[in-house]
Amino acid sequence: MNDVDDTLLAARAAGGDPEAFGALIDRHASMARRVAYTVLENQEDADDAAQEGFLSAWQAIGRYDAKRAFRPWLMQIVVNAARDLRRRRRVRTTEPLEFVAAASTHNPAREAGVLDLGDRLRAALATLPERQRLAVVLFDAEGYPQAEIATMLGIPEGTVKSDVFHGRRALRKVLESVKEEWDG
Amino acid sequence: MDDFLPSGSMPGEPLTPDPELGVALREALAMPHDGAFVTRLRALVRQRPERTWDEVLAGWFWQGVLAMSLVAMAAAAGSMVTGQPATLPLGEESLAVQLLDSDQPGSEVILNAMAGPR
Repeated sequence: MNDVDDTLLAARAAGGDPEAFGALIDRHASMARRVAYTVLENQEDADDAAQEGFLSAWQAIGRYDAKRAFRPWLMQIVVNAARDLRRRRRVRTTEPLEFVAAASTHNPAREAGVLDLGDRLRAALATLPERQRLAVVLFDAEGYPQAEIATMLGIPEGTVKSDVFHGRRALRKVLESVKEEWDG
Repeated sequence: MDDFLPSGSMPGEPLTPDPELGVALREALAMPHDGAFVTRLRALVRQRPERTWDEVLAGWFWQGVLAMSLVAMAAAAGSMVTGQPATLPLGEESLAVQLLDSDQPGSEVILNAMAGPR
C-alpha cells in the first residue's frame, strides 16, 4: 500500500477497513511518537498518548474531511491526546537509558557524540515552554508548514514563527557547541 | 547574538526550515521499537469496532438537520403555491379518520376493498 496516498487510505478506513487504517499507523507511528514525546518528555507516556491518538482517530475517521490533509488532522489529535494525558498524569521526568541507547549508530566513536547530542538536545527542549517545543519540532523536525502548525496548535501564524525562532535559538546553541567539540 | 543563526530565521524574514537541526531533533526524539508499537496498535484497531452506533448516529446529525430543513422549506413553499396551509385546518379530519368513522356512509365498502378477501 506504499503508493496509495493517505486520503485514499483514510477513505477506505472510513468504510470500515482496519487494514487501511493499519497502513496509516505504519506510516505515521514514528512521527506521532516523536510529537507525543515532545509534549510529555517521557517515553511511556508518549506511547500511551500516541496510541490513544490513533485509536481516537480510528473512532473519528468517519468525520475526517478528505479535503484536508490527513497528516495534520492526525497530528492534531495526537497533540490533544498528549496534552490531555499530561493533565491527567504527573509526568515522570526520568529518562529511560534504553531510549538513549536505541538512538545509536554503528560507529562507536560517532555513537558517543550522537548520544551526547541527543541528550543535550532533549535537555534543551525540556527548558522550553511546551508550545515552543512543539512549534520547533513540528516545523524543523517534521516539516509541517507554518500555517498547518498554527491550525494544529490553535495559535496565529505569527506566534508560530516567533515560537520557532526562540525555540530554535536555544537548540542551535546546543548543536553548535557539540559540533565545536567534535571538530576540536 | 541572533546573527549566528542559520536558515535566515531573523524575526522579520520568512520562516525557512533548518534541515541540520531537523535531522538532529528527529534523531534525538526517535523512540525505539516502532515495529512493536505498530503491531500492538494494529491488533487493537482490528479488535475495536470502527464506530459505535451513537457515533454512526452522530455522523448523520448534520444530514438529518439538512433533510428536516428541506422538508420544512418544501412544506412552506407548497402552502404558498396552493394557498393552503401544509397541515390540515383545525377541525378537519384526515381521510383515514373519516374512513374509520363508522358513521360515514360507504366507509365500510372502501375498508373492505383495501383489506381484500379474507
